[in-house]
Amino acid sequence: MMKCEKCNEKEASFFYEENVNGEKRSYHLCRACAEELGLITKNKTGFGEDPFSALFPVGYGNFIGDIFGLPQSLGVKAKKCEGCSATWQDIAKSGKVGCPLCYGTFGDELERSIRSIHGNVTHVGRAPAARLAALEKKTRMANLKNALKTAIETENFEEAAHLRDEIRAMENGEKE
Amino acid sequence: MAWYQIKGAEADTVISSRIRLARNINGFAFGKKLTEEQAKNILSQLEQALGADFTRTDLDALSPTAARALVEQHFISPEFAAQKNPRALFRCDNKSLYVMGCEEDHIRLQCILPGLALQDAYRFAVACDETLDAALDIAFDEKLGYLTHCPTNLGTGLRASVMLFLPALTENRMINSLSHQLSKIGLTIRGIYGEGSAAHGCLYQISNQITLGLSEEDILHKLNETVQNIINKERELRARVTGEAALIREDRIHRAEGILRYATRISSEEFFSLYKELKLGIAEGIITSISAETLNALLIAVMPAQLTQNEANPPKSIAERDALRAAFIKKALEVKPHG
Repeated sequence: MMKCEKCNEKEASFFYEENVNGEKRSYHLCRACAEELGLITKNKTGFGEDPFSALFPVGYGNFIGDIFGLPQSLGVKAKKCEGCSATWQDIAKSGKVGCPLCYGTFGDELERSIRSIHGNVTHVGRAPAARLAALEKKTRMANLKNALKTAIETENFEEAAHLRDEIRAMENGEKE
Repeated sequence: MAWYQIKGAEADTVISSRIRLARNINGFAFGKKLTEEQAKNILSQLEQALGADFTRTDLDALSPTAARALVEQHFISPEFAAQKNPRALFRCDNKSLYVMGCEEDHIRLQCILPGLALQDAYRFAVACDETLDAALDIAFDEKLGYLTHCPTNLGTGLRASVMLFLPALTENRMINSLSHQLSKIGLTIRGIYGEGSAAHGCLYQISNQITLGLSEEDILHKLNETVQNIINKERELRARVTGEAALIREDRIHRAEGILRYATRISSEEFFSLYKELKLGIAEGIITSISAETLNALLIAVMPAQLTQNEANPPKSIAERDALRAAFIKKALEVKPHG
């Protein structure tokens, strides 16, 4: 008996092959895991799973929906992107978002698939100059506030006064 | 001169290095949701941002052959050539920069250089990216980085790739295991014309798969290091060919040279298999009468659209095209009298 490669418990009854960027991978899965991943339709109508859904090759374009499963909550079904009125169904079907705002609208839903693609969900690297300056300022401010806290705790009041002035100057700079 | 007309670093194994950055503009939808009017708006914003150094070519105004010729030169993607929406290529040849406007992403900026030159290509691409960044409202998220149509490009939006010539690894049937190993470290190997294309002429493209969570420097470093290892392995295998095997190889190379110089009909498929021998012959110093530059240029020049786009009487059949190709090759490889 071949065990399911996902749960490693139940007997594998589905064979699934995907092709991402020309790289082929295949999996043996049990029914429950295949359902969980959205590879086969859950038995809702009483007619059993869609006999064809497991047979169609899953292409590169729609792997988000197919591999990672459609979130089933009603909230997600009703949600639409403000920027392009895309629904989660649209995104899951095409594997691509509708506009830059979709990443905010469907952040939670997309996170799982983004993690599966890249192994993480946090950008490291370049940023547009304006954003970078804002980020640097934020980090500098946080550092100054931490230093101020330490200075007060260690009763280094001269240093604390100096840091407080620096923070004020930065805050005033923001207002101008 | 374009990337394929110059001999770059590690020319015995590396054809070219390419950097691609995917960028988008806030306030515009992606792909099919982008209206014609919005696409035109993006193109004019892009034209203005890039400035006079770049020449704009609207794809709709091109014949299918002219568009195909740009694909063969690797200046645009096959998908871009096939798209129907308003789209344009902005090129700056002296900086080796080619920007596709309204491809899958609003902006696909690429820099292609001959040989192994990832760092230089990256530097040129970043300089251009900074210009765009200053002029356009680029879609960026603090957590996810540069936002792209497909989540596979999120983060840096960077695809770095190196085109390699690997005849010895191919002959030793090591490409499959190489592909397997590369996938474990987030890299991928494909044929020269992108996804799904066959590995013609022992030419492969190795690129990073992951774009999010690694800095640009890390991505480039990993790719560069891996490519160096592959180059070393390829060279080691080539050097192992000695004695009788070396005689057989030499004979094979000269036979290929003979066909290329004298045949009167050559299909592109046959060209690739002969190219492979000739390229190896030049790299190993077995052929000295043909320069690496000449062969590099030939690789692109004999592709179907390149070959026919400037012909007053374009060939009417495949046989005629093959004859045209053979004549072109014969002329390019002509032995010029010394002095």
